[in-house]
Amino acid sequence: MSTEKTIDRLSAPPKPGRWIMPGLGLIQGLVISGKNAIQSYYKKDRMTTIQYPEQRAVISPNFRNFPFLCYDGDAATGLRCTACSICENECPPQCIYIVLERDENGKSLKRPKVFDIDISVCMNCGICAEVCPFDSIYMDGEYEMSTDDRFGGLMLGLDRLAKSAEYHMKLRPEEASAVMAKRKAEEEKKAAAAAAKAAKAKADLEAKAKAAAEAKAQADTEQKGESA
Amino acid sequence: MIFATVPFPSFTLESLPQLPKLLVEWLLTLVGAPDWLVIIGGTAAMAGTVVGVFLSAFALLSLVERKTLARIQNRLGPNRAGWFGILQPVADGIKMLTKEDIVPTKAEWLLHLAAPILIVVPSILALGVMPLGREWVPVNMELGLLFFFSVGALTELSVFMAGWASGSKFPMLGAMRAISQMVSYELPLIISALGVIMVTGSLRLSDIVAHQEGFNFGIIPNWNLFTPWGFAAGLIFYIASIAEANRCPFDLPEGESEIVAGHMTEYSGFKYALFFMGEYLGLFAIAGLGVTLFLGGWQAPLPFLGWVPTWIWFFAKLAVIIMSYLWIRGTFPRVRIDQLMRFAWLCLIPMALLTIPAAALWVFTGKGIVSWVVTVPLLMIPWVILTILFNRRLAPATRTYTFADS
Amino acid sequence: MIPLLILSPLILLAALGAVWKARPVHAALLLALSLALVAVLYLTIGADFIGLVQFMVYVGAVAILIVFSLLITRPSDEAEEIQRRPRSMVTGLICTLPVLAVLLIALVKGDPLTLPAADAPPLSIARLGELLFTTHAPAVLAVGVLLTAVMIGAALFARDIEKPKSNQPEK
Repeated sequence: MSTEKTIDRLSAPPKPGRWIMPGLGLIQGLVISGKNAIQSYYKKDRMTTIQYPEQRAVISPNFRNFPFLCYDGDAATGLRCTACSICENECPPQCIYIVLERDENGKSLKRPKVFDIDISVCMNCGICAEVCPFDSIYMDGEYEMSTDDRFGGLMLGLDRLAKSAEYHMKLRPEEASAVMAKRKAEEEKKAAAAAAKAAKAKADLEAKAKAAAEAKAQADTEQKGESA
Repeated sequence: MIFATVPFPSFTLESLPQLPKLLVEWLLTLVGAPDWLVIIGGTAAMAGTVVGVFLSAFALLSLVERKTLARIQNRLGPNRAGWFGILQPVADGIKMLTKEDIVPTKAEWLLHLAAPILIVVPSILALGVMPLGREWVPVNMELGLLFFFSVGALTELSVFMAGWASGSKFPMLGAMRAISQMVSYELPLIISALGVIMVTGSLRLSDIVAHQEGFNFGIIPNWNLFTPWGFAAGLIFYIASIAEANRCPFDLPEGESEIVAGHMTEYSGFKYALFFMGEYLGLFAIAGLGVTLFLGGWQAPLPFLGWVPTWIWFFAKLAVIIMSYLWIRGTFPRVRIDQLMRFAWLCLIPMALLTIPAAALWVFTGKGIVSWVVTVPLLMIPWVILTILFNRRLAPATRTYTFADS
Repeated sequence: MIPLLILSPLILLAALGAVWKARPVHAALLLALSLALVAVLYLTIGADFIGLVQFMVYVGAVAILIVFSLLITRPSDEAEEIQRRPRSMVTGLICTLPVLAVLLIALVKGDPLTLPAADAPPLSIARLGELLFTTHAPAVLAVGVLLTAVMIGAALFARDIEKPKSNQPEK
């Protein structure tokens, strides 16, 4: 840009003995700010203000705020979380509170009865999402969460934390599709392993039956030889 | 009561601003008031008109300034209070009025109260002698220009009072800087006005405006700015007026990032609003004086535009000058106190002193081509010498950088 | 007559306050007030030029000078320190008695109670300027020389104070 080059040339310290008309640099500065002011009316890159709340800024996919729990299909039955409490133990400000659901005999149902996150304490570090072994807790991107309820409004329970896998896909397509592919591969592997195990068990059973039949046949011939 | 029959006053578009005064005088004579009451009523109406006009201009300017500065800085200004933010000054006024008025315990409450009042009063007084139109000079004093500078002197004393009466360090520092700046720049201001007084031969501001009527070569107005000494004096007056009004780049006294708010630090609520108002009204006054002295006051710029009322020309020129102040505010950084003082004493005062012999020579040699040939070198050669000296002595030294890993 | 009767007690009170007030800033501001009231007095008797110039020079320059020196030197405001400042009756009398004598002589000889003729024309600015630069030119030039000498002396004085300090860091 010629304006910038002229400014560079003019704001260099003057060589001794060379007279520059004072004030030219000032006029260059005035021209730049005048250009800014006039072009801000019709050029997009000269007016960077976004008029909230009528317009909202585009947030990047890497933006993370508070956590949410992922479920496949139905919130009541498809919740991936098994209440293992790893995230509760790893959370640095200790803002997660989990109570495991047990049946009447005391056996764990691998489901959380209570899952509370105090988002006024949460520091958005994402450690809970990193350590979860069941792909169930991820970082959300919602930021308009202000409330006027001082004492309970910022304590999110299971009803507000549970969000569907489709929501996860919309929020972070890359991460969600990677997780879905991984889960599908795992399921297929499990199914293949189960099928292989079933086939092996069936083969074992057949082999055992065959061996038992052979042993019985041999015992029969021995008995017949003795009596003749 | 004797209801005398007094005809309804006649007025034209030119004398429209006189209408309140004429109406009040007509009403008072209609109900038969004594003469002195009519005069007092008329004068009060005249003063009320001027104050009302300039206070609404102040309110408008506070919004226009914020929006202009915002556009220069790539952002929108206030646009939530009303359509395009037009009610923002109202919101500001309500905010200032409802704020708690805090007076520190170490402060002298009487001086603390008197200082904002004594800053607004000189500005309003100075607006009273300004020729705002051919038929609209609120007080046509014979010594109008001298009156203007005398009440300007009161502003400096009240800045000191504001700074000292607050009883804390930031205001004292700010007041010291403010007074030294205002005193230093008052000299070029007054000296550059001396040339105009010499050429016009009168201190009456309406005479100065009337002296600048007419057009050279049919198209160029006969304003003082279009003469060599007038151009130099006008430029010096312009720079000194920015410094007198404590505007950026000379706003050290109220530099927000340095000494909080300078002499206005310990003021809250309406007293702060009064400081604000005093500063802006002072800006109007001094810009108006610049328009009167150098830009021909209420004269029209082109001969065929003479049908427009003269007070519109005055306010149009005033608006142009004020917009240039805003533009400068949004562009330049603040000058340091030593740069400021050096600029005033070593550059502006010698150049201002040179405009006086230049103006005298201009008149002696008949205001023609000869005058141009004589006065332009008289002004340009010392200017060139001065700037060469500045470059040699005061230019920043070439920086040498030594890096850690070398 | 009425403005004189109203203003003179105020001026005297302000001047007395300027002399008697213990705190320096109060004294300085009361001095400025008394000078401003004197300017108002000039304006009421029709001496417009002198009145406005009195305001501009005294309130706008001399009072500012006093106030500025107070800001820089910061004399103490405490009551005990003010009591301990040296005061001398003799010095005071030596300074004030000659001034009082001159004023009284001027008062008695000048015949103040006869007013000038009613039809005397007021002094116009142009006439004042002519008188200053023709009849009274030597006085004006002498004052100009005096002020120039004062300014040069002040500049040299400030420079002398600066010089020894700048010679110190020589390594």
